[in-house]
Amino acid sequence: MTEAETPRIGVFICHCGHNIAGVVDVVRVAKMAESLPHVVFSTDDMFMCADAGQQLIKDMVEEHSLNRVVVASCSPRMHEPTFRRVVEEAGLNRYLFEQTNLREHVSWCHMREPEAATEKAMDLVRMSVARAAKLENLPVKSVKVTPRTLVVGGGITGLRAALDIANRGFDVVLVDKEPKLGGHVAKWTHMFTGDRSGSEVVGPLVKEVKAHSRIEILTNSSVIEFDGYIGNFEATIENRKDKARSKFDIGTVIVAIGFDAFKPHGYYGYGESPDIVTLAELQEMPPRDRLLKPSDGKPASKIAFIGCVGSREPGKRGHEHCSRHCCPAVAKAASDLKDRLDEVLILYKSIRTYGRGHEELHRLARSKHVIYSRFPDGEDPVIEVVDGKVKMRWTDIYADEELQFEPDILVLASAMVARSDIDETTKLFGLTRSRDGFFNPEHIKLAPLTTHTAGVMIAGAAQAPKNASESVVDASGAAAKAVGIMARGEVEIESTVSRVISELCSSCHTCVTACPYGAIEMDESKDPPIAFVTEAKCHGCGTCAAACPSSAIIMLHSTDDQIMTMVQAYLCAPPDTIGGT
Amino acid sequence: MTTKTAAKIDNTESWEPRIVAFCCNWCSYAGADLAGTSRIQYPPNARILRVNCTGRISLEFILAALEMGADGVLVSGCHPGDCHYTSGNLKLRARWTIMKKAIEQAGVDPRRVRLQWASASEAQIFADGVRTLVKQVKELGPIMEEWK
Repeated sequence: MTEAETPRIGVFICHCGHNIAGVVDVVRVAKMAESLPHVVFSTDDMFMCADAGQQLIKDMVEEHSLNRVVVASCSPRMHEPTFRRVVEEAGLNRYLFEQTNLREHVSWCHMREPEAATEKAMDLVRMSVARAAKLENLPVKSVKVTPRTLVVGGGITGLRAALDIANRGFDVVLVDKEPKLGGHVAKWTHMFTGDRSGSEVVGPLVKEVKAHSRIEILTNSSVIEFDGYIGNFEATIENRKDKARSKFDIGTVIVAIGFDAFKPHGYYGYGESPDIVTLAELQEMPPRDRLLKPSDGKPASKIAFIGCVGSREPGKRGHEHCSRHCCPAVAKAASDLKDRLDEVLILYKSIRTYGRGHEELHRLARSKHVIYSRFPDGEDPVIEVVDGKVKMRWTDIYADEELQFEPDILVLASAMVARSDIDETTKLFGLTRSRDGFFNPEHIKLAPLTTHTAGVMIAGAAQAPKNASESVVDASGAAAKAVGIMARGEVEIESTVSRVISELCSSCHTCVTACPYGAIEMDESKDPPIAFVTEAKCHGCGTCAAACPSSAIIMLHSTDDQIMTMVQAYLCAPPDTIGGT
Repeated sequence: MTTKTAAKIDNTESWEPRIVAFCCNWCSYAGADLAGTSRIQYPPNARILRVNCTGRISLEFILAALEMGADGVLVSGCHPGDCHYTSGNLKLRARWTIMKKAIEQAGVDPRRVRLQWASASEAQIFADGVRTLVKQVKELGPIMEEWK
């Protein structure tokens, strides 16, 4: 685009169904936008991200010769890539697109103030239109992708992902904190829905991974530094024992760090008797013909389970979610144990057997006369340890009667929770976590395996409570994402880098110290020396532009002018574009 | 930056503060997104401008915003140590001290500007920050009174 070309801006206000339009008067916003400088077309539409909305943008670009597009909809963190693609398909440079956020930042957080929300929406649109008029065409650049994936976590998810990638002909570095591969699954004696133990399930995977020439395994190790950008990361991995460090060039990452089995201290006498154990601990007991009481090693004949321990607790952070695996896992363990024990009892709040084969397990347990007894919400069973014996008291909802039981072993089906060290991983890879403590995907429906850090995928129970089969589905999905990026061999990167206007540079070196990446150096061949930017190293933070006392640095796509024009459009708007009453 | 008089003439009774909020893309903008997703309700006075990093924000932006009639300016970024760009937020923090002095010398109450750290998961902290600044600025009154 030439300097002389006058901006012709199209404005598209999205209803997002009822999400935005239910609060913001979108018609009024679109009408107001018509009066703004350089706007030649303005409209509102039900779903701008849908095919019809995308087509509308393309059609209007053609019909009105638009050379700038403003979409006012959801967060650009969600759909900016979508709309950038749309304008590109319409023949415009992607950097001539501007998005403003009327959903997360307006309608969803001012739900009871429609008038104020509409005013805010109008301000935001006016600001974005002002910025759009100042946007510039930027070249689209690509970089090479290192054909190697870093897989963090050597549980069933990490193993499956590593194998999938290696089998497609790409290198894998597989890192696990533990001395052995296999994660939780390797320790468990029962794996629903089949009849095999965890080690039987995961054993062949471990063997295959170990034998694969493309997979480098680093156990007892953690990633301690992680830097770079999609296709060109650098990871420093440290051996936790000898502290030896190694560096790897990495193209893509799969984070599969899994979960913690919640230790339910403070629930149902956990910790007061060795005979009160979690489901995970029961699963880890050595398999034998007879189940032995942990307290005295004598054979057990009566066992009880309690469901939803540390799960489904409204208002308790990190424990509000359903842990999903427990209902079928308890049904499986109970029906297996019923063959060897006299009495098996399950106390539950409700039963959720959502997955394939789960309901069949539940039915099998009941058919074997495992006793299911439902207790009321808010009236948890009372557990007392008297003279080393576990005594249970609870109300059965259906009998409406208080019942008692003395099991030899009490098993608490405790929650799957986010790992206690998840914070480190979150920071290392620039990820985010949702309220339940697990990693947030890029999009819950459309991009459940990718994250907001391009090139970094999440898989398995690090993302939400998942059973082994669901985690393996994730693993293969994330592996496909990683392979997709690497198979292309190159990936487009942002052109939003900084640039020095050499005539204005006063040779003060301020920018050299400001840049976190060492991307700015002084060209000593000039007299006086002049700063210059190595674009491949620039990440686009703009710190140099803010630090430069001579205003000699332009941060592309985030210029002083592009920012201040928004402030001005907000605060100093002509009266007819303010809206309101 | 040229100064223009604010178009809205403030009527003290119905006066609502106008807040310019600079948020970094990676933490606070995402935190504000999560506030919306979580349906956390907070005062509608702030207009969020997305910058890649708080390190992008120069003192001139803040001074110019106040001069153009912003009753308050919020800068919200990643926690120190958590910057997506390693240390941009620390550069901003270093400038902040100088900036507070500068606006004080210009005769503006420094309580009109607020620097906060809110990560992508700290929706409530972000929303509370807006609420705090709006309350603070309401106590101070319109900035146009101060510029007189």
